[in-house]
Amino acid sequence: MCSTREVAHPLLPYPATVTKIIDETPDVKTFQVVFDDPAILENFGNKPGQCAMLSILGVGEAMISITSSPTRKGMLEFSIKKIGRLTSVIHELDVGDKLAIRGPYGNHFPFDMMKGKNCLFIAGGIGLAPLRSLIDYVLDNRDDYGRVDIIYGARSYADLCFKYDIFDRWPKVKDTNVYVTIDREEEGWDGHVGFVPSYLEELNPPSEDTIPVTCGPPIMIKFVLQGLDKMGYKDEDIITTLEMNMRCGIGKCGRCNIGEKYICVDGPVFNLAQIKQLPPEF
Amino acid sequence: MANKSLKKVQLKSLLDKIAGSGQLIAPIQSDGITLFKPVQSGEGVVLDYQNAVIPPKDFFFPQSEKMFSYDTSDPTWAIKPEEGVPERVLFGARPCDVKSILLLDKVFDAEFRDDIYIDKRNKTTIIAVSCNDCRHTCFCGAFGISPGEAEGADLLFTDLGGRYLVEVLTDKGSTLAAECSDLLSDDDGNGPAAKEKAVAPAKEKQMNIDLEGVKAKLDNMFEHPIWAEESLRCLGCGTCTFICPTCHCFDIVDFNNQSSIGYRYRCADSCQFANFTRAAGGHQPRPSKMERIRQRFMHKLRYFVDRYGDFGCVGCGRCLEKCPVNLDIAQIINKVKEVG
Repeated sequence: MCSTREVAHPLLPYPATVTKIIDETPDVKTFQVVFDDPAILENFGNKPGQCAMLSILGVGEAMISITSSPTRKGMLEFSIKKIGRLTSVIHELDVGDKLAIRGPYGNHFPFDMMKGKNCLFIAGGIGLAPLRSLIDYVLDNRDDYGRVDIIYGARSYADLCFKYDIFDRWPKVKDTNVYVTIDREEEGWDGHVGFVPSYLEELNPPSEDTIPVTCGPPIMIKFVLQGLDKMGYKDEDIITTLEMNMRCGIGKCGRCNIGEKYICVDGPVFNLAQIKQLPPEF
Repeated sequence: MANKSLKKVQLKSLLDKIAGSGQLIAPIQSDGITLFKPVQSGEGVVLDYQNAVIPPKDFFFPQSEKMFSYDTSDPTWAIKPEEGVPERVLFGARPCDVKSILLLDKVFDAEFRDDIYIDKRNKTTIIAVSCNDCRHTCFCGAFGISPGEAEGADLLFTDLGGRYLVEVLTDKGSTLAAECSDLLSDDDGNGPAAKEKAVAPAKEKQMNIDLEGVKAKLDNMFEHPIWAEESLRCLGCGTCTFICPTCHCFDIVDFNNQSSIGYRYRCADSCQFANFTRAAGGHQPRPSKMERIRQRFMHKLRYFVDRYGDFGCVGCGRCLEKCPVNLDIAQIINKVKEVG
């Protein structure tokens, strides 16, 4: 963590201000924030897939993935689902209100290893939030990567996050296909209906020279991994993320371990070969 | 620096001198319980104890500590870190507890260096005291710890009857010994041999636990029925984790008493509690006591080894002594060796 403080205690957060709020779904909002000290952001150095600890002083702190790509300068974006005490308070924030942030934490998506390859992004629900940092990174460095296929699903149309990206911005980028599905038929929806794993098998995108990256609810990930296995992907090439309750974010508070790995520092990004080495406790 | 010697009758003067020039933390007895406390002088410092109820870990990683204050009515939130500790001397740490501090260093003085912990480590000179005797729950030998050695301490005192052998282990120890040179004399050369005799009972009487092959076996025992069996009698009280010298898990909590001015604390937490891993939204990877006791023993004997290259236990025996249902890590080690 970079710091302008003399004592850079890694658990000290930095004040930041909300500059924009986007209502994504009935229970997801995206918060654009800037640090009150601009030098913090300049030295933040976040990479796609990394997370940060967000807190409201007096309420609590939680690890949230950074939704914006580091190629988008001058701010950070966090898409947050209202699910507990802290996130409920965050959802009450207005533009101009404060958050405290420390980070960035964790490893990142293998954006260097993916260079020159085709990218297959598979996400469900709020799982698109961490992936979006990588998708925008790839699309902002478009010539470094091959074909991009994005498969994204949610329970309903209303539950789709980043509609401005999936329906408008991303499909306009060259060699980029976005496939959207919702779980059940719905009036006014003429797109695909069905779960993400079956849509993946139906689309059966070419697997040659392709790196699949998947994020979403555990049950979706489980069936997506089975599908990718059938399509002949190697475990080392299948990228996903793991999640555990966290407090410190720096591998000390002891609660996010799976076996000897701490998800906060060794994760959240793992390939399937690594996950198969872990004790099944997640 | 060569070995020194301190007459037993001079110990109080030595502790008085240390307490007079800085903070002294030493074992004292209150209501029959031995605890490490800051003391004003050598008066009341006990020496004939085997181990303090609470390990001296608390002076590096307290049960609860303020990390910073804030004021949400201030436009900058006025986040202000707490001040560090004064220079101090910890007297009386036993070899197992000294080793536990080296293990905590692996956690806190790692990738993201934990400044609050490191400040306390840097400002503390540790005087260890060898064990002449042991409790029925001691098994430090299993982890290669000797009652007469204390790597990680700055000075090591060994009770030789009428005098203490004073071994100088580090530069910090050398500085402290120099400051107290008027009370110390040079060892006559018989100290080391006398020490071996003095600590022999602690070596011989302690439990003989052999860890040979245990880690390799645990590597394949994640799904073993032993965890469900052992968890049946666990009460989930967490006592084992709170008195453990190597447990380092903590929670982070804000306290503001309905005011804009508040503090963020960290405080000891326990892997034996359900809330430890329960996430907002309901994700709970360790839903029952089976997963939670498995985590505790696996962490000490397998995960810590994989991550930091050493066992996360020092055989101090506190959890054996305090567990209300005798869920005993030494017994677990033996059972792991027996089961198929």
